[in-house]
Amino acid sequence: MKPAYFEFQNAVKLLCGQNALERIPDELRHLEAERPLLLTDAVLLRLGMVAMVQDTMRAEGCAPAATFSDIPVDSSLSVVNRIAAVYRESGCDSMVAVGGGSVIDSAKGARLVLSHDTDDILAISGIENLRCGRHIPFIVVPTTAGTGSECTGVAVIRNEEQGIKMEFLSPFVEPDVAVLDARMTLRLPARATAATGADALCHAIEAATCLQSNPLSSAYCHAAIQLISANIIRAVQHGSDADARLNMALAATMAGIAFSNSMVGAVHAIGHALGGVCHVPHGEAMGILMPHVLRYNLPAAAESYARLLPEMVGWEKAAATPAQMRGEALVQAVTDLLGQLHASAGIPLRLSEAGVAEQQLARVAETAVNDGALIVNPRAMSVQQVLDLLRGAL
Amino acid sequence: MRRRLQAVIVAAALRLVHAALVALQRLDPEVAGELRRMPVGMTYAIHTGHNAPSLFVEWDGQRLLRIPHPEQAALCTLRLKALAISFRLFTGQMGLAHAYAQHAFTLSGEIADVMRLARLVNRAEAYLFPPILSRRILPELPELPVSRLRVYARTLIGFLQSSC
Repeated sequence: MKPAYFEFQNAVKLLCGQNALERIPDELRHLEAERPLLLTDAVLLRLGMVAMVQDTMRAEGCAPAATFSDIPVDSSLSVVNRIAAVYRESGCDSMVAVGGGSVIDSAKGARLVLSHDTDDILAISGIENLRCGRHIPFIVVPTTAGTGSECTGVAVIRNEEQGIKMEFLSPFVEPDVAVLDARMTLRLPARATAATGADALCHAIEAATCLQSNPLSSAYCHAAIQLISANIIRAVQHGSDADARLNMALAATMAGIAFSNSMVGAVHAIGHALGGVCHVPHGEAMGILMPHVLRYNLPAAAESYARLLPEMVGWEKAAATPAQMRGEALVQAVTDLLGQLHASAGIPLRLSEAGVAEQQLARVAETAVNDGALIVNPRAMSVQQVLDLLRGAL
Repeated sequence: MRRRLQAVIVAAALRLVHAALVALQRLDPEVAGELRRMPVGMTYAIHTGHNAPSLFVEWDGQRLLRIPHPEQAALCTLRLKALAISFRLFTGQMGLAHAYAQHAFTLSGEIADVMRLARLVNRAEAYLFPPILSRRILPELPELPVSRLRVYARTLIGFLQSSC
């Protein structure tokens, strides 16, 4: 159904497929950049993934002016401010981020700091309150297929002091170019493939069913869910299958475009809190919470869940399911898929398996109700309702 | 003329929402608890459009005070993009969740503070608007522990006192 009013924006140029990496220097030249700061993390550096990007950039005449690899799994406000300082000290004129959600979101945060000429990202926090600022050319190379951050106007950054994950929302957060090259995800371990894939699936489902959903974002959601359900098990079980890898990367990007324009919902609100308070990896939190939250939302979202069923299980199965059962069937199909991922890759299905203790739940619930993603969830949620849901997932 | 009328109604509605929250602090334990958890010195500014009414409130740890003009920028500033949108929001034609979904406002400050404000305003609206309207604009109609009539009466007294 068309909402009374909606907005849609995506200005990211996508380079997808063969030799996509080798095209980065040409893109930088078009963006009038010569001295990029390469941002990544220590694991990717050790695995040689960064060397692959550095070598191709050097070979095509645009070597990074500096490399910053001290980005932890959960990035933080202080890391963002440090990246901005390194950028200034090294005389850089652009950024290339190679990594997963943490690296990309840290880069986005640092770019905000630099383009608004401040020293502290907290000074510019808010929703759609930012002016465009100074343009800093920004290319992103995702090494996971999940966050979709390469195409979103959102940066999620951990506030270490408050133990929360903060969201920075602005269309000016979007990168200029996103590079999807199967070579960058071929070595992703099965468990990380499963967890990040669950994140992408969650983006697509929540973006299609939340209060901010709109026809354009929904189109991306449907396409993303179809690609994920057809490729995720293959990508987990046969990591070297380049076709499955690229399909997953594309699905994650499409789901990212979708939720960037229609937000997410309670799975993300609670998941952010679990990450901030208990350090549960984001994708794993999504996998654990999704069945519980989808079931909670079912009374308000059955129709929109039903519309997604064909993408999840195929048209024949969906058509064979009675119309009034399709919403429930979608929830069951998601639960079954997560069970398969648990069996093949060992992603946790319970909070206790992820190391969460009962006494942490109250703080998670109190944090979750203050997360912006909750405002567009199809059903309202109080602290007690979040707590009940968390206990059910423990 | 139409814009002027909208401005008058929005200005009254802003004061009414504030008066309702002050009344509910005494009457509704949910509102009282939400306010108690608010950091002392928290300030909100709500701007309803260009050359349109604004509301500034401050939580001093005991009361939610309406202040004429803050000395410094509020910690959380909501800027609605146009008076016509504010009019829809404050006359029960659109809820805060839908306003967010429709990019109706910008926020300077922390999202957590808006979530707190959203819960308070939703609660106030659940009392102030008749259920048929509340059902349309709120994600869910909460159970209300106090009769609407009591809340109307207290709110009206507070509203009139603040006008004197």
